[in-house]
Amino acid sequence: MIPVAHFMFISASLFCIGLYAVLTRRNTIQILIGIEFMINAAVLNFVAFGKYDKISGGGQMFALFAIVLAAAGVAVALAIILNVYRYFKSIDPTKTDTLKN
Amino acid sequence: MDDLIPYIPLSIRDSLSSLPFLSAELCLIMGFIIVIIADLFFSKRFPQLSFIIVFITLIVQIYLNAGFLKIDNTPLFGGMIILNHLSVLFKLLFSLTSILFVLFVRFNKAFQNHDKGFGDMFAILLAVHLGLNIMAMSVNLLMVYLSLEMVSLGSYLMVGYLSAGKRQTEAAMKYALFGAVCSAIMLYGISLLYGFTGTLFVNDPSFISGLKSIPPISSGLALLMVFIGIGFKLSLVPLHFWSPDVYEGAPTPVTAFLSTAPKIAGFAILINFLKIFYDQRSDGLSTSILDWSFILACLAILSMLLGNFVAIWQNNIKRMLAYSSIAHTGFMLMALFIFSAGGFKAIIFYMTIYVIMNMAAFIMIDEIEEKTGMQYIDELKGFGKQNSILMISLLIVLLSLTGLPPTVGFTAKFLVFSSALQAYNSSGATLLLIMIIIASISTVVSLFYYLKIPMNAFLRDSSNPVQFSIHSPKVYLGVFLAFLLLLLTIFPSLLEQII
Repeated sequence: MIPVAHFMFISASLFCIGLYAVLTRRNTIQILIGIEFMINAAVLNFVAFGKYDKISGGGQMFALFAIVLAAAGVAVALAIILNVYRYFKSIDPTKTDTLKN
Repeated sequence: MDDLIPYIPLSIRDSLSSLPFLSAELCLIMGFIIVIIADLFFSKRFPQLSFIIVFITLIVQIYLNAGFLKIDNTPLFGGMIILNHLSVLFKLLFSLTSILFVLFVRFNKAFQNHDKGFGDMFAILLAVHLGLNIMAMSVNLLMVYLSLEMVSLGSYLMVGYLSAGKRQTEAAMKYALFGAVCSAIMLYGISLLYGFTGTLFVNDPSFISGLKSIPPISSGLALLMVFIGIGFKLSLVPLHFWSPDVYEGAPTPVTAFLSTAPKIAGFAILINFLKIFYDQRSDGLSTSILDWSFILACLAILSMLLGNFVAIWQNNIKRMLAYSSIAHTGFMLMALFIFSAGGFKAIIFYMTIYVIMNMAAFIMIDEIEEKTGMQYIDELKGFGKQNSILMISLLIVLLSLTGLPPTVGFTAKFLVFSSALQAYNSSGATLLLIMIIIASISTVVSLFYYLKIPMNAFLRDSSNPVQFSIHSPKVYLGVFLAFLLLLLTIFPSLLEQII
């Protein structure tokens, strides 16, 4: 059986890759992919830990909810990005910068 | 699988017996479905139908909620949410905000003239309101995440709803991206907390004992990650970047809503979350895992300093109010240090006044912007001489926001100050004293920027005076709210009776 530490290691690296993508990418879609990485790292954690919580099954349940909410979040974000593209002809967050102090 | 069977009838019975306590939320869901159907099929013939339905839903919801005002801690749905006096008060506060928001949207020109109409906006509002209500009650990490996301997704849509122009879409994008990152970090923190403790129930004794059994650095990190998600909703200082941009870019009614309701809900979650760290012996927050009072005091100090000092330099009125709302959040945090009914009473009183003041300020500023196109403070020169009723009401609201002595804003600030002093007396921490001193200094600083508007309006002369008719619903609403503030100045007990 695979020890739980391995799952935690993989999920931590997934989370860090996602965070790195969010901080460095200059394309909004790629940032969204980074966010998906971070959410899926958490989902992996939930499923791995959920194995030890059989009666209430909280982890598995949470993973299902998190997947659905991630999909909903991406749908909303993509709709907003489409709108941004219509006005700016670019989805680079550094170029769409009209609101300033 | 077989060992789960005895639990099924039990949990079904529990869920069924919990349903009557959620009558207000069921009413919101009904309203949500009816608004969508009405907007789809009847919006051409009866354009006002969705407004009427939303208004009735909210009123019925208030009535249903008020019935639970005297309730004691009641765990529902297997303890996933808890209904108590405090959460009912929060829910009533959300209802007040939503009603003001609905009226604001109804009489806003940008929403009236938009070809989408406001039907969808009202549907989103009811969904967000449902999320806010659950936020006020949740003690389970799943419910916390679910309700927080419900509110967030709805607010992204609200900001981008009109999609009129570059600034609005940009604001919506910034909000959605920043919010999604914060909620992803929070989700990861929740997954770690679940792994450390084996339970999702925050109020379960094994939650706190599990946290204590592992090294403080890992549990502290996980708690901080969860706190990032809550802090985003509160727009506390390290996580405030989005708020000035979003508040400036969003349609004014949405700005007014976002600067009040989700913030209040964030406080509700924070209170539920901090309850487990409450230490009976020292009458303060426990320091064994994470020094909460240190973190909260630092955040409060930073928010008050940054909010107030940056607001001075703003010329755009909405941006100025955004920074001032950051400062108000920092101020409200001060009431959390004394973790008793008195502290909660102070915070609820402050929030109610804050909702009325903020909504009134945005309603009047929106009226001015709609009629004259003015967005900047120095454009208001000589404005008060022509439109005195509107500007005097705005003056009352701004004085109240500052917290000058005769106004009700002062009463609210006084309550928060006294609960923070009480916390200082019982703990004796120097940081709390520093926080209280900074709070009083920043109150003085806030005079400078709040009073810039009436100073320009009344004392300076303008080369081309503008005058517009004051007979519009929004002016009436603004004047009514200012009058309400005056009434509460004289009789604060009207509000205190409910709390």
